[in-house]
Amino acid sequence: MLSIETQLENPNHILIPKGEIDASNSVQLDESIRKLLEEGAKSILVDGSFIEYISSAGLGVFMSYLEDFQERGVSLKIFSLSPRVLEVFKILGLDRLIPIFPNKEAALNDK
Amino acid sequence: MIKLPSIHIGRLSLLLSILVWLALLFVDLVRLFGVINNLNSGIAPEFTWILEILFFLTVYLFYNYNLQKNTQNEFINLLWRAASTGIFASAAFLVIQLFYQFLGDSKLGQEPFLRNFFYHVHFALISIFLISTTLLWKKLILYQKTKQVVQQWQTYEIGLLFAMFFVFFSQNTFGYSFIFGFVILTILGGFLSVNLKWIPYLTFKEKWKSLLFLALIIVCSVYLFLQTNAYSSAQQTYPINLLDNLFLISLFVFILIYALFSFLVTLFNLPTSSVFEQKLTEAINFQRLSQSIQPDEDEEKVLDILLDSSMSASFADGAWLELYQSERNQAVLQERWIESKEREELAELIESNTSAQNWAKDTKAELLSPLPLKIKHPKFGSLLLVPLVVNKAVIGRLVLCKELKDGFNKEMVTIIETFSRQASISVENHRLLNQAIQNERYQEELKIAQRVQKALLPNELDHNQAFEICAYSNAADEVGGDYYDTFQLDQNRFVFIIGDVSGKGTSAAFHMAQMKGVFQSLIQLNLSPKEFMTRSNAALSRCLERNHFITASIFIIDTQNHQVCHARAGHVPTLLYRSGDQKAKYLEIGGLGLGILRNMHYEKHVEEKEFTYHSGDILVLFTDGIVEAKNQKSQQFGFERIRALVEMNQYLSPREIQTKLIDTLHDFVGGDGLIDDDYSLMVVKFN
Repeated sequence: MLSIETQLENPNHILIPKGEIDASNSVQLDESIRKLLEEGAKSILVDGSFIEYISSAGLGVFMSYLEDFQERGVSLKIFSLSPRVLEVFKILGLDRLIPIFPNKEAALNDK
Repeated sequence: MIKLPSIHIGRLSLLLSILVWLALLFVDLVRLFGVINNLNSGIAPEFTWILEILFFLTVYLFYNYNLQKNTQNEFINLLWRAASTGIFASAAFLVIQLFYQFLGDSKLGQEPFLRNFFYHVHFALISIFLISTTLLWKKLILYQKTKQVVQQWQTYEIGLLFAMFFVFFSQNTFGYSFIFGFVILTILGGFLSVNLKWIPYLTFKEKWKSLLFLALIIVCSVYLFLQTNAYSSAQQTYPINLLDNLFLISLFVFILIYALFSFLVTLFNLPTSSVFEQKLTEAINFQRLSQSIQPDEDEEKVLDILLDSSMSASFADGAWLELYQSERNQAVLQERWIESKEREELAELIESNTSAQNWAKDTKAELLSPLPLKIKHPKFGSLLLVPLVVNKAVIGRLVLCKELKDGFNKEMVTIIETFSRQASISVENHRLLNQAIQNERYQEELKIAQRVQKALLPNELDHNQAFEICAYSNAADEVGGDYYDTFQLDQNRFVFIIGDVSGKGTSAAFHMAQMKGVFQSLIQLNLSPKEFMTRSNAALSRCLERNHFITASIFIIDTQNHQVCHARAGHVPTLLYRSGDQKAKYLEIGGLGLGILRNMHYEKHVEEKEFTYHSGDILVLFTDGIVEAKNQKSQQFGFERIRALVEMNQYLSPREIQTKLIDTLHDFVGGDGLIDDDYSLMVVKFN
């Protein structure tokens, strides 16, 4: 089960996925990110505190936007990941491509 | 034992009846001789009566048998048989009369013996006509019989049997008892005569025919009856009266009553017979519609039947059937008795009609019923729109047109609605069946894919005396995205690779095949692990879908120098058990998954490390399917369990360790719990 909320805290768009992100619902995540891009978001913050699990398909969604973000000058930050989910990002090496922060403050303070 | 020959009832009864008749003739002629010559022949009248009864019984037996054997039991055939017998008897009688007319007052015309002979012929013909017709009536009366009717008929037969023997009692006089018996039998016959259930089943044409036959039967029986009376009034010529018999008279009346009833009922049924035929056709059409179409047949056949049956049910003057394809583009499938130009005119009229617009907009397709419309068109006065609903969606419509205004009554609408629903069900079933067949084909294809993919994994793992190796892979679906392989670079150097495509299922399986291609080509180039990963990334970046990536680990083993050089590309860390300190640890090495960075910067995100192995060291390579496998409490199997297990079972052979790991994994997940990701495992133990 996955539900995704988005909040606008100018100038940041906060994306809050809740539940498990796997192959069956990674499309949902993809759609929400695409929507934010279409709305012209320049700074996307992903609140990871409610992500219980992320499969490789879920990681694939984040990964697929890396180049897009770079080209459009959009910044993507992830914060408050649970240790287990953070581990998944680390194993894949995504932590070196996407800035990951322990909490929201740290993410907001980073420029 | 003497074996009795099987008795042929038909022939036997026929033979017997002829013999009995001859005997009767003989006896009566002898008596006549006695009367003429004033001699007492000494033959009691009872003797004649017995023969007469015997004759009745044998004829009854013969016809009863004959009718049972005869399989042609169409009503018209039965009526024709009765009518033809009647005509034959009447014709024979006419011929005899003409013969006597011709003879006039000649001596031969006065000859009592000849007259008596003809009298007996007449008696035989009348008996045959009456008995056979009665039996035919029996068939008609007992059509769609109930227990009650059968009982009534049996009572009547018993009554008839009594009537045969009545002659002994009444001594052939016409008294009150005769009238009493006659009245009772007539009442019984009258009761039976209301059983006319066969008439509605005649078609219009058959009804006309049966009217003709029934009229013939009535005429013949009236004629024969009158002739019989003529004989009775000229009794002095005949020594014994055969025809003033309660049995025969009752049968006369019964046959007449039933023929008359049938005639009248058939006559009055004529105007409504078309309705009955209509209903029968509707029932047959319904049955045709409900017979499911064969998978190789077309839906059009059902729609064809629907069109025809709806038209015949509503007496429509024209109709067409159209199916909606995508975006309301109507494809006209069939046109009946209507010109394309007229159809277009009518379609426009429907478009502009408000109730038709509302009808078409109705969202609850499954509740949509046919809509009768009044229209202003030079040729047609009313229309009926019939929806074709399949799977809760309107797939098309049937339009019936009539020249009359308000041409569609409630009954027509109801039956047409039933037709269209049944047709829809047939079409739906047909589609479902085709889908099921298609699915089965896909299953077959997947099985082939599974076989092909299995062949992508190595059958034998390259190794030498320096180490033992085993590997296992299992896909969550028919096919998966896990991959492992070995390669021998030279006498002492070996490569182990394990890889995992993101996602699972068919797309992962295709990428897995690409991965194998890339790895197999690069491996031959004798590259360092880091170089291998960099080049793999470059190659795979070109062929992977944007949101797919691959994780992999590569190990190059030098068995001469006991060196292991390795690199990791985003893959789950590999476990290394050290026999020296008897501890297992995950190898710590950075590295980004393949296909994530699709440019030249990848090189910066992958590293290469080296270590020396010792005897008893164990390498366990696996994919994340094992780590992430969950039990009922949603706990992951995790890295720690694998580590502990390997430490505990380090003394076992690689295959035993592998089995242990897999078994523990399955126990952890739970008896019927499924691991919903591909998982693979490779265990290497150094000697």
